[in-house]
Amino acid sequence: MTIDIPFIWIAFKEIIKALPITLILTIVPLLAGFLIGIGVALVRIYKMKFLYRIANGYVSFFRGTPIIMHIMVIYFGFPLLLDQLSLRFDLGIQTNKIPIILFVLIALTLAAGSYLSEIIRSGIISVSNGQMEAAYSVGMTKFQAMNRIILPQALAQSIPNFTNIFVGFLHTSSIAFLVSQKEVTGAANIVASVNLKFLEAFIAAGIIYWGITILVEGISFLLEKKVTAYNRGGVS
Amino acid sequence: MGKAFDLMLIIEFIPTLIQYLGITLQILAASIILGLVLGIAAAIPRLYKIPILNQLVILYVSFIRGTPILIQLFLVFYGLPAILLLLFSIDITRMEAIYFVIITYAISNGAGFSEIFRAAIRAVDYGQTEAAFSVGMTSRQNFFRIVLPQAVRIAFPNMANSVIGSLKDTSLAFTIGVMDMMGRGDTLIAATAHALEVYLSLSIIYYIIVVMFEKIFSKLEKYFNRYQKADVTAVA
Repeated sequence: MTIDIPFIWIAFKEIIKALPITLILTIVPLLAGFLIGIGVALVRIYKMKFLYRIANGYVSFFRGTPIIMHIMVIYFGFPLLLDQLSLRFDLGIQTNKIPIILFVLIALTLAAGSYLSEIIRSGIISVSNGQMEAAYSVGMTKFQAMNRIILPQALAQSIPNFTNIFVGFLHTSSIAFLVSQKEVTGAANIVASVNLKFLEAFIAAGIIYWGITILVEGISFLLEKKVTAYNRGGVS
Repeated sequence: MGKAFDLMLIIEFIPTLIQYLGITLQILAASIILGLVLGIAAAIPRLYKIPILNQLVILYVSFIRGTPILIQLFLVFYGLPAILLLLFSIDITRMEAIYFVIITYAISNGAGFSEIFRAAIRAVDYGQTEAAFSVGMTSRQNFFRIVLPQAVRIAFPNMANSVIGSLKDTSLAFTIGVMDMMGRGDTLIAATAHALEVYLSLSIIYYIIVVMFEKIFSKLEKYFNRYQKADVTAVA
């Protein structure tokens, strides 16, 4: 067993074709999860009745179980549930026609929602109360204050955390290959098994993930500088 | 086979699966301990800016943070035997899969820990060191008596998060054929064709373990913070 260096490049060219699916599996759940996250964060901060308990349970459970469980449970459970519903109400849904990627997207969205809600919550809490008082004092409503004053500051402060989550979900999307999705890891697995060159294929996949991670971290660094330009700290 | 979904099976599966919790915890404990050693070793060149080693550690941390744990697992699983055979002509292809898992998770944890240690030590105010020197402590005394105890307190919450994240990551060990809870779950699915129930039982087990860990860590965190003044935060 030796390492075939030229094959890494061949595998790289083959595997990078699967990059769009990996990016879809990363970005779509994060965007959808962001909406869930804001909703859940606000519910938890304002301690709304009943909803508050549900939100707490949701965040705790999804952060407390491996994401592979969410993918598997939804992958096996959703078709069962839909079949039952369609049988009862005669909807005529054929679950075997639903592409698997949809289940993965749902699972990752729910997971992303729970992780993002914690980040958004901590971001909102970190904005000092004086900001809210100042907003009220100039006659803003609660919604205006949240929307115009608190959230922009909270989100700007949370950029490093968002980057971590983005990178985390980029890496998490590799689990989708276990339910036979042809994303970067899945493609690497196929290239590896076809050519019986496992190490080279996974090196190529590793380079792709690494490259994207570095790119994302670079963009985030620039963004953070731009977004927090107004923010002068205690000493500078 | 019977029904498509049987709620009772979830409870029935738990005792079978929990027997394999030991393997999961073994992987976790071994990889954390090795990771601690690796993390300390990697943090030293970064803190003292030892040339070459410093750059190597930066590369190491960047690679580990830039690639999914699944890819790292495959790289170690296929790469380590190849490298050892090539360089030292040691044949470890027959080594049990669990050791590859422990090595991978140790390497992965080591990178995370080194960053946590570095950040924690740098977070200790330099005035503390100056004060230690002013009362005649040596640089070694200063490190072990003044800086380190404070750094441990700062690092602890991040370490706890790492451990819990690592626990959840162990659920991927079955992909290279380790017989942990997930691996046993796989064989249960093959035997009973009740995939959903198996994954729900596994989720329950993981959730309970994670919640227990969180409880323990929050107790420990309180203990480490016993000399800190209560934080004053303005929660909206």
